[in-house]
Amino acid sequence: MNGALALTIALPLLGAFLLPVLMRVSVAFGVWIGPAILAYGCWILGDLWLTGSMQPFSVALGGFAPPLGINLYADTLALLFALAAQLLGLIFWPFKLDQDSARRQALMLLLVAASTGLALSGDLFNLYVFYELTAVATFGLVAASGTSAAYAATIRYLILSGIGSVLTLFGIALIYGQTGTLNLAHLAQLAPEQLSNELGLAAFLSLLIGIGVKAELFPVNTWVPEVYATASSRLSAFLAGLVSKLALLIILRLLLLVFHQPEAAQVILILGILGVVSGELAAWRAKEMRRMLAFSSIGQLGVLFIAMALPDGQGMLAVLALALHHLVIKSGLFMLADGWGGALQRLRGSAAASPLAAGLFVLFSLSLVGMPPLPGFWAKFTLITELAGQTEPLYLMGLTVFLLATVVEAAYLFRVAAIIYQSAPQERRPDEIPKAGGLSLATAGLFGAGLIATTLLIAPVGDRLQTIAAQAQDVDLYINTVFPATPGASQ
Amino acid sequence: MTLTLLDELLLFSGATLLVALFIGRGLAAGWMVTILYGGQLLTLLKMAALGYGGGIIASSLSFTVMGQNLSWRFDALSWFFALITLGSALLSSWFACGAWERSYAKQGGNIWLFHLAMALNVLSMLILLASGDLLSLFIGWELVSWAGFLLMALAGGVATQAAMRYITYAMAGGMAIFGGLALVYSSSGSLQLDAVLIAVESMSTTKLWLLVILFGGGFGVKMGLLPFHLWQAPAYAETPGPGSAFLGAISSRMGLFAILLVLVKLFGIVNIDSLKIPFTLIDARDLLAWIAVFTIIFPTFTAMKQNDARHLLAWHGIGQGGYMLLGVVVADAMGGAGGLLHVFNHATYQAALFMAVTAVIHRTGTADLNKLGGLVVRMPLSFMVLLIGIIGLAGLPPMNGFVSKWLVYRSLLNEGMPLLFLAAVIGTLGTILSVYKLIHNIFLGQLRVEHEQVKEAPWSMMAPMLILAAIIFITGLFPGIPLAWVASVQEVVGLPATDYTLGGVESVSGSLDMIWVIGVLFAGFGIGAVIFYSAGRSKRVHQLDNYAGGHFLSADVRYQYSDNFYAGLMHLVGGWYRGSFLWLEKSVISLIDFLSLVMQGLYRRANAEFYLLSTALFVMAWVVI
Repeated sequence: MNGALALTIALPLLGAFLLPVLMRVSVAFGVWIGPAILAYGCWILGDLWLTGSMQPFSVALGGFAPPLGINLYADTLALLFALAAQLLGLIFWPFKLDQDSARRQALMLLLVAASTGLALSGDLFNLYVFYELTAVATFGLVAASGTSAAYAATIRYLILSGIGSVLTLFGIALIYGQTGTLNLAHLAQLAPEQLSNELGLAAFLSLLIGIGVKAELFPVNTWVPEVYATASSRLSAFLAGLVSKLALLIILRLLLLVFHQPEAAQVILILGILGVVSGELAAWRAKEMRRMLAFSSIGQLGVLFIAMALPDGQGMLAVLALALHHLVIKSGLFMLADGWGGALQRLRGSAAASPLAAGLFVLFSLSLVGMPPLPGFWAKFTLITELAGQTEPLYLMGLTVFLLATVVEAAYLFRVAAIIYQSAPQERRPDEIPKAGGLSLATAGLFGAGLIATTLLIAPVGDRLQTIAAQAQDVDLYINTVFPATPGASQ
Repeated sequence: MTLTLLDELLLFSGATLLVALFIGRGLAAGWMVTILYGGQLLTLLKMAALGYGGGIIASSLSFTVMGQNLSWRFDALSWFFALITLGSALLSSWFACGAWERSYAKQGGNIWLFHLAMALNVLSMLILLASGDLLSLFIGWELVSWAGFLLMALAGGVATQAAMRYITYAMAGGMAIFGGLALVYSSSGSLQLDAVLIAVESMSTTKLWLLVILFGGGFGVKMGLLPFHLWQAPAYAETPGPGSAFLGAISSRMGLFAILLVLVKLFGIVNIDSLKIPFTLIDARDLLAWIAVFTIIFPTFTAMKQNDARHLLAWHGIGQGGYMLLGVVVADAMGGAGGLLHVFNHATYQAALFMAVTAVIHRTGTADLNKLGGLVVRMPLSFMVLLIGIIGLAGLPPMNGFVSKWLVYRSLLNEGMPLLFLAAVIGTLGTILSVYKLIHNIFLGQLRVEHEQVKEAPWSMMAPMLILAAIIFITGLFPGIPLAWVASVQEVVGLPATDYTLGGVESVSGSLDMIWVIGVLFAGFGIGAVIFYSAGRSKRVHQLDNYAGGHFLSADVRYQYSDNFYAGLMHLVGGWYRGSFLWLEKSVISLIDFLSLVMQGLYRRANAEFYLLSTALFVMAWVVI
């Protein structure tokens, strides 16, 4: 069963390359192949999740044992995000049929394959490959919306991402030059001797900035507002919800396993604080729903970076909870924004036109600002208790900034809610009021239902997150899983 | 599992919410909800032992999330506040039923949403009052904040704007509390009350200061303490009538409840007293006392300037909160009793006053003090209720407001705080002047021609008003009834308990017996009545006929103006109204706006690559150096 893990990456990849051909042969068959592959992936991962003993395991690809061969590493954290990738791929599947749909669906499969790979890869080079693959798929998908604004945004993103990749590669080269390996478990063994120096720090920082482009790290996130505002809402939801978290996950793994320098955490903390400040403040004046969500997403990712900067992986639980929470909320909000594009003032009266959407917007906003007993509150609670426990003043500053940013966030989110609930201006015809409806509303409703279910089941969910975080924090477990004490016993 | 009384109460309250939610659109939904509030009140009365110092009733509801235990329970403190909450909810909801409801719906209001919001407010307040640890306190706190937002915002228009301002303040307060919570947790490792109580003993002064500021500020926002008071008056005043009666009666007292629980019970007045402000003679406790006093003075004089009756009352609500905090901070037996008793008294007369004003709006369509007058003959019962209410608000005998204010003054004198006493008296002076403006401009003076046909408010509105008026008088005559509850609250929060009698308090430094005071007062009235009635027959004329004093003037000529009331006084104190708090608020908003502009500029720049490379270079340089 464990071997099937590789299929979750291989099948979507294969599908992506075959889909354009299959579509020519039979549209009816081609349309269903993508969702079928993703559903199968969900089933494999779900099965592993439910039947597995919750012990992490490693899969060596091609029969070569690591560190020579490449491996997939699956602990509960990785499985969770891999599952999220497949599931969100399914939820945000580009169902619309037109002449472009083959290309778009193929790119989506590619994006899911790459995202799953990012979650599962056990060595740095594969991570890089999947990272690039994600970028390529994203360019294609953003540009697919066909507007000139989308092309301009894509170009900017392309350049930024390209330079980011070069930096990432530079960091990887530094590491390889120093240690001669790129396997994460192997690196974790070697790191205390070989990488806890200035070279290691330099390597980490170039990796951080390179990968940070996708993780919306300040200040390499200037592509975010343009791309989210011009790409389709479904894609924005996938990017803001999942891809940014996966990039974050890589940085988190690196920080936990390889780079223990306090300076590394410090840089992340400072950039995180700046991200929160810049994102939330910029959202305050945003005149358009999607742009506001994009800025707020930058702010939220900043919060995640603050959580990640907590020493010795203490922030693991907070990162996990906040990341999952943001994943659900932002996906839902972007889905709502689908029907609510354009200037915010246009939305007057839309609550009467689509009450469910307005209700969902309020629900998501409340959870985002952390109103108890919604899950957002618990996620924030885990973060602030950890932050307040630190003696370093910079962490307390992070805490202060985080709390103040929440106030700003509540103000701008509920300003929008107030606009939505205002009565429509007299001179407007009813059909001019933007309506959220159809598939996007259903999808948002799905996330809303998930949010409410989590609220009710918060105690078991919390316990499960705690075990996942504890497992992910355990460096020795990671090393021992990839390199078992008795050779050959792992498979 | 057997249900405790508290479980019953919370379930009852939850059921009320469900009724309002699902069948609240049907006929007589308002009455149904009102009856359910009555049921909740009865359940609360079954717990009456709590109000007389009878221990704790826990809820069976408790759970553990992420290592945090959450529990709920009632003690004397919670019971006292819950009594006021449910009492005002019952009467406000009763007031809303029938005539008011119909006219509200006719004006396009959503009565279903109104009842729902009320039920939600009551439930969330009960949850807050029942909190058994700091985490459940915070959860309850936020629930109350957002439920209040719903009630304030539902009228739309100006009300929504006021509610937006409120929620921004409330979020800021909430986040201050959240931060305080995290700091407490970092030093005690738990948010259970007993663990915190132990941790406070070994806390450093800096940390204690920080916590007092965070919690005091956070809770103070809801109380409308200076300088966080700007949101309150518009938000309460613009809420639909019965809603503002309810909010004005109890909502901002939740802040006082939390202050009592956290600052007084957990941190202890003694600990707060030991926090000195460097290079000055005052400590944190004096600071709180002075904040309380300024909260009395400024909003009270702002109230005097208001031309809308609802706004005038709402501004007073802020000022009266100052007396409560002042009493609690003085913290001797009398002061504590005065502050706590004032919570009860204020709720009674504030609700009555808001209802009377709403009744006037119901009949005349306006609350503008410049467009009313002479209604005393048209609406005599409402006039009586308003009169009783303002006597209570101004703190004069024979109404209940006198007792609580007397206790606060007495304690200030006993404890040797003459400056605070003087300031509090200045506040009372402002109160008396402004409530006179209220009653004069509505009920006295010249009747407007367009109000000639105005009738007394309908009985569905009159009944709760009269009940409240009766409570105001009875608890003024026998303050011992609420003082018994107050004494148990004092014991629970660790303040010295007052020695009360049915008619007032017994103390070596000065006793008060309202039965005597009122007896003497009414003897005086009796003598006056004897003189009045023995003076011979009086002649009855039509109200519109009796202003001219012999001159030939028709009723539509305005010769008595209520506009620009207190022009002389306003000229005198006008210089003080510079709107500095408004200026402060505006400058914070402008600052955020400006920063936001800068940040947007940052993201609008086209040279993103430049950022990336310069950051990379910068961090590399940082590593090398």
